[in-house]
Amino acid sequence: MPNTLNNLELGKKGTIAAFSDEQAGCQLMTMGILPGNNVQVIRKAPLGGAIYLKMENQQFAIRNKEAECIMLK
Amino acid sequence: MYNAEVVKKPLQGKKTVTVALIGNPNCGKSTVFNQLTGLRQKVGNFPGVTVEKKVGNFQLDNQLKVRLVDFPGTYSLYPTSQDERVVLNILANQEDQYYPDVIVYVADITHLEQHLLLFTQVRDLGIPTLLALNMADAARKEEIWYDTAALQDSLKVPVIAISAREGENIPQLKEEISQLIEKPSQAPSAFYDLSKGEKDLAKTVQSKLNINNSYLALLIAQNAGRLPFLTQSDREHINEHIIQSGFNRLSMQVREVMQRYDRFTPMLKKAIQRPEGKGLSLTDKIDGIVTHNIWGPIIFFALMLIVFQAIYSWSSFPTDLIDAGFANLNSFVKTTLPESWYADLLTDGIIAGLGGILIFIPQIAILFLLISILEEVGYMARAVFMFDNVMQRFGLNGRSIVALVSGAACAIPAVMSTRTISNWKERLISIMVTPFISCSARIPVYTVLIGFVVPATASWGIFNAQGLAFMGLYLLGIIAALGSAYILKRLLHSEERSFLMLELPEYRMPVVRNILLNVWEKVKTFTIEAGRIILIVSIVLWVLASYGPGTKIAEAETQAITLAQQKNFSETQTADLIAANKIEASYAGHLGKFIEPAIRPLGFDWKIGIALITSFAAREVFVGTMATIYSIGSEEEEGSIRDRMAREKDPLTGKPIYDFATSLSLLIFYVFAMMCMSTLAVVKRETNSWKWPIIQFFFMTGLAYLGSFIVYQVFK
Repeated sequence: MPNTLNNLELGKKGTIAAFSDEQAGCQLMTMGILPGNNVQVIRKAPLGGAIYLKMENQQFAIRNKEAECIMLK
Repeated sequence: MYNAEVVKKPLQGKKTVTVALIGNPNCGKSTVFNQLTGLRQKVGNFPGVTVEKKVGNFQLDNQLKVRLVDFPGTYSLYPTSQDERVVLNILANQEDQYYPDVIVYVADITHLEQHLLLFTQVRDLGIPTLLALNMADAARKEEIWYDTAALQDSLKVPVIAISAREGENIPQLKEEISQLIEKPSQAPSAFYDLSKGEKDLAKTVQSKLNINNSYLALLIAQNAGRLPFLTQSDREHINEHIIQSGFNRLSMQVREVMQRYDRFTPMLKKAIQRPEGKGLSLTDKIDGIVTHNIWGPIIFFALMLIVFQAIYSWSSFPTDLIDAGFANLNSFVKTTLPESWYADLLTDGIIAGLGGILIFIPQIAILFLLISILEEVGYMARAVFMFDNVMQRFGLNGRSIVALVSGAACAIPAVMSTRTISNWKERLISIMVTPFISCSARIPVYTVLIGFVVPATASWGIFNAQGLAFMGLYLLGIIAALGSAYILKRLLHSEERSFLMLELPEYRMPVVRNILLNVWEKVKTFTIEAGRIILIVSIVLWVLASYGPGTKIAEAETQAITLAQQKNFSETQTADLIAANKIEASYAGHLGKFIEPAIRPLGFDWKIGIALITSFAAREVFVGTMATIYSIGSEEEEGSIRDRMAREKDPLTGKPIYDFATSLSLLIFYVFAMMCMSTLAVVKRETNSWKWPIIQFFFMTGLAYLGSFIVYQVFK
């Protein structure tokens, strides 16, 4: 299983290493989701498809497809 | 104190100075805007697009008038949506009418790490900029320490901490704006160092377009294909250079973004410190329930039920008041003025039209009151998160659910509510399909007709059959809405790649001023912009129903009077007969007969044809027109209209007109057809063109025709 955000266990913390998709990565970075940041998947959307992502002082909703582009250390 | 270069061009010579409010989504920009401008604001669209433009005025102490433009929230100058593109289009074009003299950049102190990227980009454009650190109150509560002087020193622009919510430091903010206008200054050096290749590229653009800011030139080069103000030859020239030097736009962007973060993150470390994590925050706890697997959807649907109830029933009291008020005004004018065409125009055309506009205001106000509260608190972002997966399949957005649910009461506020959907394609689809949801105006039509399809006494098991049929009609509307959304998703191509990257903001108490201004603005826009169209169509419909070719109307009236005298009719019976004969002789009557061949295959005769035409004003008008045509007076109950319709026989075959097939066909027609000029007027305003309402009208009415045709041909 690739070490990407969508495979991170609920509640566990990980550190972003890089993005496998440049366009999605660039957009994530403009929102402040950067390589080196600690992230945690709090929960999945009730009907699937997206995850609730928590960073140090901010939370985001992103689709699984985008989560697949986020590679962890 | 920071050092800044004084820009040569003084701004004080100008009569009004344009100040732009720029910042990330959720930075509290609109609260700042409302604080500064209050009711002196105008909401419209940016030219050529349906992106909301808010412009307000305020006066500075030095008597200078400021035109404040609230730009859409964006994360960077690399646009990914129509909203964000507007920001770049204007900031990159010094000739644009909204190009600012001064920028007030609003950032949320509690998220400063995320909010400074765009700031450093904007700052590099060479426009005098000041940084307003908003939410000082929240920072205090969260015990965040920050040092504005240190930030000012490292960022080299004026920095001021404010709380727009509490009105804290607003006079000081104005003072800073005045100073920046009096001594316009820009940061001495750019934040971003262009690479060698980028410098060459920028130089090409600079000499071509005659601009002196190299970062601006680079931005223009990167976005050349989509900037509306560039000429075709400029574009080709720039693109050629990009291709020749082998530039990859995305890699350039990534490099720039990384470099900016690398530069400002250490600056922030010295200027801001937050306390160590103290476990779960209030937002974490609320989200534990509100986005919970089971509780989340339950809470959401409970909220939607409240929204529906509110528009459906809470609005009925003020709506009835407006209705009665206009009816009284109408009869007062009728009795006061002499009987004449202008009295009729005034009462049945203008006053009825105005009443038809104002009647929607309670529903609009109530819906936007609730939606604004949900948005302000931060709840709507959670709804998008929970339902994104399902809605995305239909090309819709989580926020579209609000439109669909409100559409069950009235499509007008529902269509207006789609403003909050930032993806244009998702918003357009929501607008196009919402009117399929059965609104409250269809209920009278359903009530009158359903008795011909399902007998009142029939039951299927423990259920009343009429109740089930009603539910079936609603379901049909929902299926049509989702089905056509799915088709539209396939048909409409979008250049925007669909992402969901949504900030889930901290829950905050709503700012009452923001909510009230939003409600006020929605009501005002509807009344003025959609109201104009509604009034015109209403007058046209009045002309159609009250005038006829040549002397036909007058002849019809004399005939009716003669017949009434022969039959010894009472005064009301005579009046009803006159009305019936007159509408038959009117243009609407002629139109009804004219379209009869087209609607015959649906089982409709010309009388139904007239009702179809007049009920374009609003669906419930169907019932009133039926009453007039069958000369039973418009004051009658729905029940008596149904009795009269049941007795209506086909003159040739002697069979009842409203048999199962015709009635069902008519019901199906009203489920699908776009029989509402007010909705079309609102769609025109929300999509900024006649194209979409026209497509919507033909698509919905075409589907209605098809549906009715099949039903009638199968069951006749």
